[in-house]
Amino acid sequence: MERKIGKILIANRGVPAVRVMHTCRDRKIPTTAVYSTPDRLAHHVFMADTAVHIGEAPPVESYLNMDKMVNAAVQSGSDAIHPGWGFLAENANFAQMVIDAGLRWIGPSPKVIKMMGDKIEAKRIAQKANVPTIPGISDVTDINQIKKWMKDEKITFPIMIKAAAGGGGKGMVKVENNDGLAQAFAQARSESKKSFGDETVLVEKYIERGRHIEVQIVADEHGNAIHLYERECTIQRRNQKIIEEAPSPSLTDSLRQEICFTAVRLMREIGYTTAGTVEFIFDSSTKKFYFLEVNTRLQVEHGITELITGLDIVGIMIDVAVGKKLPFKQSDIRPNRWALECRLNAEDPKSFSPSFGTITRLHVPDGPGVRVSSGVYEGADIPPYYDSLFMLLMTAGADREDAIRVMDRALGRTLRVEGIKTLAPLLLSIIRHSAFKSGDFSTRFIEEHMDELVSMFREKSSEDEVLKVARYVAEISALGPQKWM
Amino acid sequence: MKKDYVFVKPGMTPKEIVKAVRSLRGVCLTSVGMRDAGQSDFKNRHRIYDLKTLAPYYNEMGLFSAECHGGARWHVGIMNRRENPFEEIEILRELMPNVLLQTLIRETNLWGYRPYPQNVIEYVVSKVDIDVWRCFSFLNDVRNMRSVAEVVMKRGRLFEPTISFTVANWATNEYYLGVVRDMIDLCGGTDEIILCIKDMAGVGDVNRIGNLVDAIKQAYPELIINYHRHITDGLAMPALLSAAKAGANIVDVQEDSLVRFYGHSPILSAQAYFEESGIPVHLNRYMAEVSVQKVREWIGDYEWAESPFKGLDHMVTFHKMPGGAFPSSFEQAEKGEFLHHMPAILRVMSLYNKVVKYFDVTPGSQITWVACSGIVNRYAKERGDAGVKHVTELLAKFVEQKNQDFGAMEKEEQEELLLLFRQAPGDFKNLLLGNYGRLPVGWPAEWVYKSAFGDEWDKKIKERKELSPLDSLGDDDLEKLRKGLAENIGREPAEEEFILYLMHPKDAKEFIVFREKYGEAPIVLPTDVWREGLKRAGDRVDFELWGKPYSIELVSIGAEHEGIVHVVMKVNNRTRVYAVETPRAKRTEIRMAKKPNEIGAPINGNVWRIGNPGRGAIKGGDIVHRGEEIANLEAMKMENAIIAPFDGQITEVCVKLNDTVQEGQLLFVIEKV
Repeated sequence: MERKIGKILIANRGVPAVRVMHTCRDRKIPTTAVYSTPDRLAHHVFMADTAVHIGEAPPVESYLNMDKMVNAAVQSGSDAIHPGWGFLAENANFAQMVIDAGLRWIGPSPKVIKMMGDKIEAKRIAQKANVPTIPGISDVTDINQIKKWMKDEKITFPIMIKAAAGGGGKGMVKVENNDGLAQAFAQARSESKKSFGDETVLVEKYIERGRHIEVQIVADEHGNAIHLYERECTIQRRNQKIIEEAPSPSLTDSLRQEICFTAVRLMREIGYTTAGTVEFIFDSSTKKFYFLEVNTRLQVEHGITELITGLDIVGIMIDVAVGKKLPFKQSDIRPNRWALECRLNAEDPKSFSPSFGTITRLHVPDGPGVRVSSGVYEGADIPPYYDSLFMLLMTAGADREDAIRVMDRALGRTLRVEGIKTLAPLLLSIIRHSAFKSGDFSTRFIEEHMDELVSMFREKSSEDEVLKVARYVAEISALGPQKWM
Repeated sequence: MKKDYVFVKPGMTPKEIVKAVRSLRGVCLTSVGMRDAGQSDFKNRHRIYDLKTLAPYYNEMGLFSAECHGGARWHVGIMNRRENPFEEIEILRELMPNVLLQTLIRETNLWGYRPYPQNVIEYVVSKVDIDVWRCFSFLNDVRNMRSVAEVVMKRGRLFEPTISFTVANWATNEYYLGVVRDMIDLCGGTDEIILCIKDMAGVGDVNRIGNLVDAIKQAYPELIINYHRHITDGLAMPALLSAAKAGANIVDVQEDSLVRFYGHSPILSAQAYFEESGIPVHLNRYMAEVSVQKVREWIGDYEWAESPFKGLDHMVTFHKMPGGAFPSSFEQAEKGEFLHHMPAILRVMSLYNKVVKYFDVTPGSQITWVACSGIVNRYAKERGDAGVKHVTELLAKFVEQKNQDFGAMEKEEQEELLLLFRQAPGDFKNLLLGNYGRLPVGWPAEWVYKSAFGDEWDKKIKERKELSPLDSLGDDDLEKLRKGLAENIGREPAEEEFILYLMHPKDAKEFIVFREKYGEAPIVLPTDVWREGLKRAGDRVDFELWGKPYSIELVSIGAEHEGIVHVVMKVNNRTRVYAVETPRAKRTEIRMAKKPNEIGAPINGNVWRIGNPGRGAIKGGDIVHRGEEIANLEAMKMENAIIAPFDGQITEVCVKLNDTVQEGQLLFVIEKV
């Protein structure tokens, strides 16, 4: 049974909202943007066909406000909602509300979201499907439970406390020893409550020097579930990914087959539909992988999978939402590129302290092998209330070395952002680091190499230099001869 | 075939250069158009942007050398023109590869105003790409030249030991011959050096200089002599001729169009005068004519920098203020609003230099200036114009009537003299203590020490150093200094930046910050735009940067609003808006945590909780315990607990709930209990 979509409301802002709108434009589907007060002049607002104001700056009043979101869809004549990533993307209640309001939900069923959103339940299902999992306990309400578990199971520090409803690194705290346990436990619960409205946490053994590998799945309502191969997302800071690549440089072909088909098996088992990701932690010393979680949404780093496969994952999500069959079989998926993604966050590259303000100059990379997914424009404001990601920079090449070389050009020679601090100097240092180039890294790469990473700077260009001269001419033209002259 | 006038070139050994000069008939010329001309009459403000337009002509002019470096040009460059001396050398090397580049260096004081340690001298001198090193001592203390001479000669560059020359009863031929002998001993003969006689104020009588050159030539017939003479007394050209007739081989000149009152003789006039007097001049006159003409294209942009004290001044033979110091002294007097006391200050200087005997050239001229203007200003402040008249008369009586016989003065006059130097600057006291080296004809009389140091005078005399600062000053830790600079600017300094820092630490740091912000603006912009910007809509400046063409065109300058002016410009055809802060711009003062009992924000973020869930909100006066969470900041949905560092009482809560704070901003003040 095919349904139709006439107009899509994107329940998001910034990079994900703009990304979804691009596919909608390709499909000639009109879009509705939503915005909070400080986002009134944001990029995604201008890009949409209509825009609805949904509240004040705090996310609970705007981008997390489900009633306002559904009302905005109805009011703007939208008949479908795409949640992007973050905010309400993995909220089963919201998905249900959307469906109950008679709108299309472009995402997996509320049932699946709920099932996988509960980390404890997800782990149980994975075990049932014969997917290896990390030792841990769930439903933790006080720290004595953690201590007992560690004693009974002979678990040693470090351990990880996670929001049961979590994702994206929020509500996740690593604990190194007994002394930090209480504070970490309280912090994880509080962050969890703030980000997901639920303070349930679980605790797991922390895999030292692990690698983060995930498999992209697409599935339709007709029982077809196939994988689009894996991505490696090991380079992280504060448990948030900042560099991703596809394929993974850590896997052999047989391991790749194993991990991808394990992911497909799990997704079939739960009756998954649309795009989703199965995340694993890979212990490179033992060559074992463990199930982490299922992300029941479009992921930030989906673009590199699109680059290596040539597919449009957002487009597939829209097709699946109207009941179409996947138009390809597993054997049709033949990646033939290497792709790399760097996340440009508005942060200090040394301290990771967030940086807000106006982007006074923006020069976006271009040229062969570059794809940019931006949530801003020159002159745009970065408000302090939301995620610091403002642009994704992706490059592709025939092999890994090629992709890195293009990224070096994009970050070092062409990208220019002024007015706010960005991670660009750090990202450039990482991709130039010999350990990164040789593929020898873990999730702790940044903490282990921080001292070497912050010392490198972008290349000088005459374009930058002439703007400095212009700044001088502007000042003297306005102020006249100066005392120091 | 066109005659090639070039007879000395970079890359020749000192011996070859000396030989080439010896084989010339008549004299050859050093042009000071790129350094001392600007320093003497234009406060050293001539920019390399303009000076480099002369370089192609210098390249064919057949000069002995071009003085384009050193003196105060280095310091003024980084402070006022925002140019660095290394890039100037690089530009000139490219445009005039045939010309020997010359610097002026102040022995242990290098291009600064105080003695530098030996390892700094050796390090810096070895890194500067200059062919001719004219090195003088304001004390004629040849011992102080040792390190510079050694490094320069070891590098195969030409060392030019220089006599500071003045006219005084003690400045006899015998005295100067003693100085020359020390120099020749230091440099191992006369075949690899050139001697310079530096009349930095322009005070030498016409016959006096001929007589001195003759005496030196009789003692050292093979020695090449270069005569450097300022024009302030109006008698420069006859003096140059007198020196040349007596056997001087090289004289200093500058473009006629650059000549004002404190610099050097005009190149074309000098050439004509010498030729008419029967002394051949080695010069491609046509190139000199073109260069003189070229100057007229840009010299109008520097009218603002010229001295307010116009005209030649034969009184210089008394006060002896040198050409280079004249404009800057008047600038200071104007800024300090004591320009009307200048005649009195100059008179006091003419008496002072008979009491404390050395040469009025940097850093001596600065010491003289600060000491004498200080005395006059102190009297002016305490007793008005009558006081100024009084102190001038007191000194005149002591020096001119009583012939500096301290005992011949009245009791109260003695007491006044004994307080004269009490508030003199530290550098004056350093000079008395021998920290710069030995004074040329002995230390001043005891009463000067009593006047400067009071009861401690005899102790200070005992501490007085007889050694050169080269031997008395300890080395600096260069690596530590380099690290200090790196910390200050937040990155590793380039080698050249480090050398600028060694010379003038504070000004070098400001320079580095300026250039980081404004890039190559000081190098690529024409002088009118550099100084005044673009004025009217449609005004445009075209320039080249790194070999590529660029253009900036003014669209509009907005009205000032709340201390901000918006300037709209087309930069390479793209319209850009610049918000420029005026001095009236409001700056919201953000208090930062500085002391141990002040708690700052660890990150930029939002204060979403003050206190903790256990006890609720925290306010001023509350007691908190070590380790207790006292606030929480949120940034991009991550929480950051603020923890009390010790048991204490909150004396101030410096933020409100939901404030957005920046890293380091003060959140709480806590007092220990």
